[in-house]
Amino acid sequence: MALIDIPPDLTFVALAAVTIIGAILALQARELIYGAVALAISFIGVAGFFVSLDAPYLAMLQIAIYVGAIVVLILFTIMLVRREVGEEAKDRPQSGEGSVGLWLAGLLSLAVSGVAALAGPNMPSTPPSGSLPVSALGPTLATQYPIPLIILALLMSATLIGALVLAKVER
Amino acid sequence: MVVFPPTTPQEVIALILYIITSHTFITIIIFPGFIHLTLVVMFLTWYERKLLARIQLRIGPLYAGGPGGILQPIADGVKLIFKEIMIPYKADKPLFLAMPLMLVLFAALPFAVIPFGQHWVIANLDVGLVFLFAMTSLFPSMILIFAWASNSKFPFLGGLRSLFQQVAYEIPMWVSALSVVMLAGSLNLTAIVEAQSKIWFIVPAFLSFIVFFIAIMAELERLPFDLPEAEPELVAGWFTESSGAVFMVIFLGLYMKVYLMSSLVTVLFLGGWWGPAFLPQPVWFIIKTLIVATFMIIPRGVYPRLRVDMLIKTGWTRLLIIALANVFLTILLIHSGILSAWGI
Repeated sequence: MALIDIPPDLTFVALAAVTIIGAILALQARELIYGAVALAISFIGVAGFFVSLDAPYLAMLQIAIYVGAIVVLILFTIMLVRREVGEEAKDRPQSGEGSVGLWLAGLLSLAVSGVAALAGPNMPSTPPSGSLPVSALGPTLATQYPIPLIILALLMSATLIGALVLAKVER
Repeated sequence: MVVFPPTTPQEVIALILYIITSHTFITIIIFPGFIHLTLVVMFLTWYERKLLARIQLRIGPLYAGGPGGILQPIADGVKLIFKEIMIPYKADKPLFLAMPLMLVLFAALPFAVIPFGQHWVIANLDVGLVFLFAMTSLFPSMILIFAWASNSKFPFLGGLRSLFQQVAYEIPMWVSALSVVMLAGSLNLTAIVEAQSKIWFIVPAFLSFIVFFIAIMAELERLPFDLPEAEPELVAGWFTESSGAVFMVIFLGLYMKVYLMSSLVTVLFLGGWWGPAFLPQPVWFIIKTLIVATFMIIPRGVYPRLRVDMLIKTGWTRLLIIALANVFLTILLIHSGILSAWGI
């Protein structure tokens, strides 16, 4: 039993703030590593959305795959934009373009949400009851969506083989 | 009667009592949460030093109070707290200080889903094992960021090694855990332990136990896989530049991870809390976990360190293939009905 009921809207606002602020910081960061960390925080916010939508499995995979894979991004930033050991970060010239984009994106999302609020039917704030348990995920994929599953598997093996071929050519 | 917000002093007292006697508070703060974790991790550091000393015919910690110097971790902690925190010249200060704390946080968070007993679990998640997978997949990034933030050669090399090693061994680790999931038919750790009431999964999934154990030894960067902190080459690997309290926090995080992985082995393969009824369930769990931890510590006193190429080759070409083969073996085992006597 809960003494205090946290309204779902509050959870949504908090998660949205984390996600959006993380995304903005990821674009605006002076140091690319900070950008990668901010991107990870933004992805964790998205994982929070999945939890609040009663899809914990998806949330966990979001963290494992997207946030965990941030490390590769970090590795690339370190390797490509590498500064000499002992040197300080160089200032990236700050121009007004970034903030213009930010304003545009903000206005656009405001317009979209305004239209949605005026025109569309109210979105349910709670997830539909009887959400799919994790154990039903496999049978559903295998029986209802076998063709997309096979296509995905082929795509992935093609990617792997392609990566192997590329790696071989370099040698 | 508990009300919120409280108005009279009696109501305040009632509310406080209600909070500290609630299941949530006890499981988070006392057991299996904060206090229990801190104590066990402190004990583990002492235990490792003592055990290694015995293997090498030394005495180990002796003078710091109690039998066998068991208060040594407290003495070490006090010493480290009062040392100066050295931050390398032009290091990235915020990340350098934040990452050790994140390391401890993400080493402690997964304990929320580890069932120490039928009712001794903080969050009985349906996707507990996936949660653990998600949390442990964050370690390479944090270690690499910390290594980079130190702004020095040796930590960076150690961080890269740590990344390659952890990414290479993560896959065999979770693929071998997959056979346990198939045997139990659930991702919920409590359900996995419940399924072992008749037979521990170490028997039907012995191969995956071996693969899992080797993989977590590499994940934990323990000898013979401690390349990321190889002393002769890299001073102390990715935490070369850490000192004082920063080092203490990293050390705490690493040993918490050792405890986490040992308890995960207990949950997946050694029947979790099951044991004869004369001891309570959490005691059995901790005994099994400490035995697993012992087998993780012993190689440090016995084996030499691997080379990088040996390590990566073993991970990708041997362990992964054994783990994948084991998945098919488990499918065969389940469908052949050999295990039906144990209700699998």
